[in-house]
Amino acid sequence: MQSSLTHVRLAGLAVTVGSVVRDFQAEGLAAGQEPAQLARLAKAVGLRERRVAASDVTALDLCADAAARLLDEAAVDASSLDAIVFVTQTADHPQPNNASLLHARLGMSKAAAAYDLSLGCSGWVYGLHQAAMLCGAGAARVLVCAGDTLSRVVDPADPATAPLFGDAGSAILVEKTGEASAMHFVFGTDGKGASAIIVPAGGERQPQGSGTDSCLRMDGAAVYEFALREVPPAVAGVLKLAGWSPEAVDHLVLHQANRFVVSSVARKCGFPEAKVPMDLAEQFGNQSSASIPAAMAHACADSLQGGRRRVVACGFGVGFSWGAVAFEAGPMVIAPTLVFPR
Amino acid sequence: MTSEQKIAALRADVDVLAAATPETVLGSLPNWDSLAILLVVSHFEHGHQQTITGAQVRACRTVADLLALLPHKP
Repeated sequence: MQSSLTHVRLAGLAVTVGSVVRDFQAEGLAAGQEPAQLARLAKAVGLRERRVAASDVTALDLCADAAARLLDEAAVDASSLDAIVFVTQTADHPQPNNASLLHARLGMSKAAAAYDLSLGCSGWVYGLHQAAMLCGAGAARVLVCAGDTLSRVVDPADPATAPLFGDAGSAILVEKTGEASAMHFVFGTDGKGASAIIVPAGGERQPQGSGTDSCLRMDGAAVYEFALREVPPAVAGVLKLAGWSPEAVDHLVLHQANRFVVSSVARKCGFPEAKVPMDLAEQFGNQSSASIPAAMAHACADSLQGGRRRVVACGFGVGFSWGAVAFEAGPMVIAPTLVFPR
Repeated sequence: MTSEQKIAALRADVDVLAAATPETVLGSLPNWDSLAILLVVSHFEHGHQQTITGAQVRACRTVADLLALLPHKP
């Protein structure tokens, strides 16, 4: 589906990452992998190190830290928020949702709406769309948090997933504005690809127990093919809605799966590497739904703080699900990316 | 692009094929793995603007079979 929403702006963002550093080579050697194979993977895929959450820290904690710092930096009182949307697949509890828990931590008004979206690497774009729709429906200010702790969901013995994921939480502030600025979205889903990224057990279909598999399983080749197939048309779609060419865009921010995937997809989208952050996963790992705001904070902060910029972003992953957005942003508040706990 | 140019480009992009000939049996290569398959898919995508799947690559026995996935252009 396509959607264009006006009179809404991205006012600020903050990202908090896990405090524990995992070194790709050291982890691989400890797991008994060959040094030459590790070097090959590091070079081809772009794997160096990642940051994961301490054992007692959850995605809610990481997002709460990012949200509190963002509100402080933007001088916004939490009681003025009309809604909070929390994008995660690693919530603290099956019930209640993370949004309600964060609502209490931040001291938000009882008049505020609070709900979760169960989406992975595409989720930040969906969260932004929810916020923009809420602003079109009467809300003045919406907080969107997106974060996961996927490093805990992987099988440590699975070399296809164990070294990939980092943990992070993000927060963005979306506001209604008098300006006629627009956000253009394209969304898509291919549910036939659902088994390519899946945690088989732990839900109602297959409750967690002895003999069940509650680790994240991923068919990397299928995911790569999916990204090459679906992301370029989605990016072209939002460019068309916005009336922009790739040359007119300042930043293309793709979900930071790893450098190999980002570089490959960016090339097929027709964007030069200089406009595309692609080294985030080398430092932090694949941060799931937090990777797009993390890339903006990491690679585009000076630009977005300095003036008005044209941004295209696209998230893609579990589902298969994807979402792309084109919007103008800046000057905006970007809090420094910090670890938690500090 | 001649056959020699095609195999030279494949060797440059896919590390485990650096010394390959058309007769090289893919399954005999020590590092013929999921990463190598991804690199082949990427090579076809960006080197030849041709989308192929990992399943197509896995079905190939030799390097010549891989090159046969490219459309013949006189």
